[in-house]
Amino acid sequence: MDEEHQQTASTWPQPPSFWKDFTPDSVSRFEDLQKETAERLGVQDPSTIRLENLPRELRNLQPPPEPEDGAWRVFSDTYRLQNELPQLDDGQIRRLFPNSEERDQDGKHFDRATILKRLAKSLLLNFLELTGLLATNPEAAHEKITDIRDLFINFHHLINEYRPHQARESLISMMQSQLDRTRAETNGIRDAKDKAERVLEGLSSLTIQDQAHDTSLEKDDRYGPDGEAWAMLME
Amino acid sequence: MGDRLTQLQDAVDQLATQFVASINYINQHHSLETLGPRDQIVVIPKQEADQQEVDPHPEDVFRAAQIELARDLITKEQQIELLISILPGLDNSEQDQERNIRELEEELKVAEAQRQEAIKEREEALAKLDTVIRSIRRP
Repeated sequence: MDEEHQQTASTWPQPPSFWKDFTPDSVSRFEDLQKETAERLGVQDPSTIRLENLPRELRNLQPPPEPEDGAWRVFSDTYRLQNELPQLDDGQIRRLFPNSEERDQDGKHFDRATILKRLAKSLLLNFLELTGLLATNPEAAHEKITDIRDLFINFHHLINEYRPHQARESLISMMQSQLDRTRAETNGIRDAKDKAERVLEGLSSLTIQDQAHDTSLEKDDRYGPDGEAWAMLME
Repeated sequence: MGDRLTQLQDAVDQLATQFVASINYINQHHSLETLGPRDQIVVIPKQEADQQEVDPHPEDVFRAAQIELARDLITKEQQIELLISILPGLDNSEQDQERNIRELEEELKVAEAQRQEAIKEREEALAKLDTVIRSIRRP
């Protein structure tokens, strides 16, 4: 009774009972089993392997297989493995742009930009018409509102269609900046190294001169401050 | 501030909001008209005005607000067009992008190798310096 009361009072559902199976010991045992099987079957990546006949206490460590029909429900919402953009035609929305096969020749996206601009202009025009209709014949406005709604939905659809493209584009720019950073770092390191080597070379010629001048005590004094300078350089 | 596409999407949503706001304003603050010769405009006392559906604004205020709303709509639309024309990668096809990514990946590998090499060289130089300093310290 007490337990039941607690369950209804908590904001989130209780964790599933098998969470206690994930002890460090079981996890490492499970990983060993996976590795063994992978070696036996000659598969590179052990994590892709599905183990059969697991002992009872390890059974819950293996994630369940993907749903066969590609759909599942969580919190009464249906999700799909393939997260596809719903087609406009499914939702009884008029499509106001040509098929993807008929536009964007050579894979470029200028047509998309043109269509988007056209839609934006249509939105304004339709809004103007709507205000006019509302002033003269409010009953007819409903149709115009549907038009505007369709225009907006079309606009959003075109934008969402473009998202994968934009994602790749951001990846490219991120890689480019990473490349620039790496190169700059390499150059910086090389510069510092060259400088150190030049100093070293300069000193080696000095040493010869000094050896000509001779006396080791003097030499020691002379190189005292230089040694400090090198130590600083090294840092 | 998201990426360009999100900015564009937000701008479109704002345009929709502006549509609604414009109509709402006009609906609430338009002036009252007589429809026939026998109609009369009832002047509502000030304290009750808040509860009324229509709260007429003075002619000049109403006009100015209308012009402002219209101007805002146009500005927003132009903003949208600008955002459209600066969408990233309009002139890249998917194949271009893939090729680009692959090239960059190779270049990154090369650059990383060079970096490691440079680090090694730096360490060698450091070791050299170290020996030089040590030999001087102990005459």
